[in-house]
Amino acid sequence: MAPIPGSGLAKGLAVTLRTMTKKTVTEQYPDTQPDLPPRTRGVIGLFEENCTVCMLCARECPDWCIYIDSHKETVPAATPGGRERSRNVLDRFAIDFSLCMYCGICIEVCPFDALFWSPEFEYAETDIRDLTHERDKLREWMWTVPAPPALDPGAEEPKEIAAARKTAEKLATTQPQPTTQPQPTDPTGSNPEPPTEPPAGPTAPEGDAP
Amino acid sequence: MTLAAATATTAHPTLTTVAAESHGFLSPTGVEVAFLLVGLVTFGAALVTVTTKQLVHAALWLVVALGGLAVEYLLLTAEFIAWVQVLIYVGSVVVLLLFGLMLTRAPIGRSPDADSGNRWAALVVAVAAAAALVWVVADAFRTTWIDLDGPAAGSTEATGASLFQNWVLPFEALSVLLLAALVGAIVLSRKAKAESSSPPLNSRAATGSSPSAPNSRNRPIRRNGRSEATRSAAGTEPTARGTASTTKETGPTEASNPVEATNPTEQEGAR
Amino acid sequence: MNDALDVALRLLIVFVVFLTFPLIIGQTEHKVMAHMQGRLGPMYAGGFHGWAQLVADGVKFAQKEDVVPAGADRRIFQLAPAVALLPYLLVLLAIPIGPGEGAVGEVVDAGVFFVLAVMGVGVLGSLMAGWASANKFSLLGGLRTAAQLLAYELPMLLTAASVAMAAGTVSLPGILDAFEWWWLPWQIVGAIVFFVAGLAELQRPPFDMPVADSEIIFGAYTEYTGLRFALFLLAEYAGIVVLCGLTTVLFLGGWHGPWGADGLGWVWTLLKTALLAFVVIWLRVTYPRLREDQLQKLSWTLLVPLSLAQIALTGIVKVVIQ
Repeated sequence: MAPIPGSGLAKGLAVTLRTMTKKTVTEQYPDTQPDLPPRTRGVIGLFEENCTVCMLCARECPDWCIYIDSHKETVPAATPGGRERSRNVLDRFAIDFSLCMYCGICIEVCPFDALFWSPEFEYAETDIRDLTHERDKLREWMWTVPAPPALDPGAEEPKEIAAARKTAEKLATTQPQPTTQPQPTDPTGSNPEPPTEPPAGPTAPEGDAP
Repeated sequence: MTLAAATATTAHPTLTTVAAESHGFLSPTGVEVAFLLVGLVTFGAALVTVTTKQLVHAALWLVVALGGLAVEYLLLTAEFIAWVQVLIYVGSVVVLLLFGLMLTRAPIGRSPDADSGNRWAALVVAVAAAAALVWVVADAFRTTWIDLDGPAAGSTEATGASLFQNWVLPFEALSVLLLAALVGAIVLSRKAKAESSSPPLNSRAATGSSPSAPNSRNRPIRRNGRSEATRSAAGTEPTARGTASTTKETGPTEASNPVEATNPTEQEGAR
Repeated sequence: MNDALDVALRLLIVFVVFLTFPLIIGQTEHKVMAHMQGRLGPMYAGGFHGWAQLVADGVKFAQKEDVVPAGADRRIFQLAPAVALLPYLLVLLAIPIGPGEGAVGEVVDAGVFFVLAVMGVGVLGSLMAGWASANKFSLLGGLRTAAQLLAYELPMLLTAASVAMAAGTVSLPGILDAFEWWWLPWQIVGAIVFFVAGLAELQRPPFDMPVADSEIIFGAYTEYTGLRFALFLLAEYAGIVVLCGLTTVLFLGGWHGPWGADGLGWVWTLLKTALLAFVVIWLRVTYPRLREDQLQKLSWTLLVPLSLAQIALTGIVKVVIQ
């Protein structure tokens, strides 16, 4: 079947005409803020209360753009006759965003959920040296981190919740007193719910664990 | 010049023109003055055309001369001829001329090698031709006057009527000639398709019927391929010479590919 | 005295049209092209949807330094924009926008020839610019311009001749007076050929090989800056006005319309011209640039035969209806 001569030309004209009648996709950025998806890689926020200065992020960073200073403190024994504990105290946490390539490895490797992606992107500076942002600035960006999107319907439940429920069920079978059946979703620390509300206080660092 | 000489006579209509009766030869009308001035400009431009040492300037002065001629036609009430003059000579012939110049040699500045040694012979021929033309025209039309008051003798209607009533046969012969040239051009440009027996290198099978399919592209591609071959065969041969030799060996078929042909002249032209 | 005033007024009106219409078309092109590409186009200049964008552009052009390359042929380089621009102003004088003597800048007896002749002269400006710039890209652009003009002048003339045959006159108002609605289907092939050839002569996309910015920077205009460059751009858009106006007058019946031909004839002319200008923009957005050989081929193997066929058809119908 030979196409009618010129039908391709007409088709092209139709495409452009149809596009003209459609809504444009232009973002009027400075006038209206863009509607960014929740996982936008805008900037990295630090939830410093969760940070244990384990240095994993700084070591994994391909660009070496994370600077961490810390010192050790000894915590007196909680119980008389107990042993003194030592813990790390964060002195400085800075990310040089002129080096950062937004790979997100630091966020992936953080074992204590102290680093988060924030969709905030308006942090341009006039001097490249000002792009090294310190912990207070990084902490401020924490407020802009949105709640993670809901899981897909039928998705596997998060590992932490599954583990918690398993232990709860095990407890329930070993101690057969049917109370209100402690269902999951109680563990506060294991839920990756980003703290959009300020945390209740400086949570005890992991150093207390036996 | 011919026309300027003729002005003096045409400005004296013996029939009905009031202007001729009230104005003598020494008190010309505005049209006559304009005619004379434009004639001078045309003559000057023509002189510069043949004397300037810059080739492209000569072509551009020719535009001025031909345009001046068109204005003279206008002043002689031959409007149709005037516009045809602009259309054919300024619009097409000069453009063709410039095209040829730029394609071959169009250096900016003087080109002394374009000077001919037999300029005196040329001058003699030019003066003789001009004298002959002036004499013939003045002799032939001495008793013909333009009636400025009646219907314009040079209007489109009058020209068309005389063309198709008195001069139909020459007109038709000419138009058949031109039509033959036109058809010839089409046949020539179509022939390129038939000659290239090998399928186009980059053509898709489905769109072969498209009228604007780039069939003449075959040859440049093959030529480039060959130039690649010569270049690689020569090994250390510098690139410029490789291209130049290719251009030379495919000289006659060059017309379709102005780009490659320009390169050598370009280099000397734009210094 | 009254005559002088009349002439001055007409010249003034034509001049104002010459200065404003190209800008309007340019602005329309900004917006239409943007929306056809899913964009918004200029939004800031002037406040409301960037209506003053071209005014701002003009101010910008005027502020720029006027550079003449050291190796250029100075006088010709500087003269070229004027040669490119002025012919369109002259052509605008001869296009009638309404019925009667009052609606045309100047009645030219051989209007069709005048218009086509003077339009052809405008190309000389590009040629001069291309040669005088002392730039290889410019020279290539000039060459392509010349080749294009030579190829497309012929079909344009032939189709215009077809209309002149149909009307029995070469004066533009005369052609309009003789127009009947059934000329539209009768001359449709000629109209398309004329319009396409005119586009090619204006070097508008998809026939913008001479300025192909991705290969030869900007062709003949590569070395131009500031006001002279702006004049070339103005010439291009004035060319669009002229081409659309001419196509309207020759093929679409100018001020003729289904109703209101008496007082509002000029509205019809403007409406048709604007519609054609939209088509010009539309074509630019839709089609990619033709290659040089495709360009030549289109003219010689398609447009010229089509226009010859149109002339034959015109002749046959003309003889039959007499």
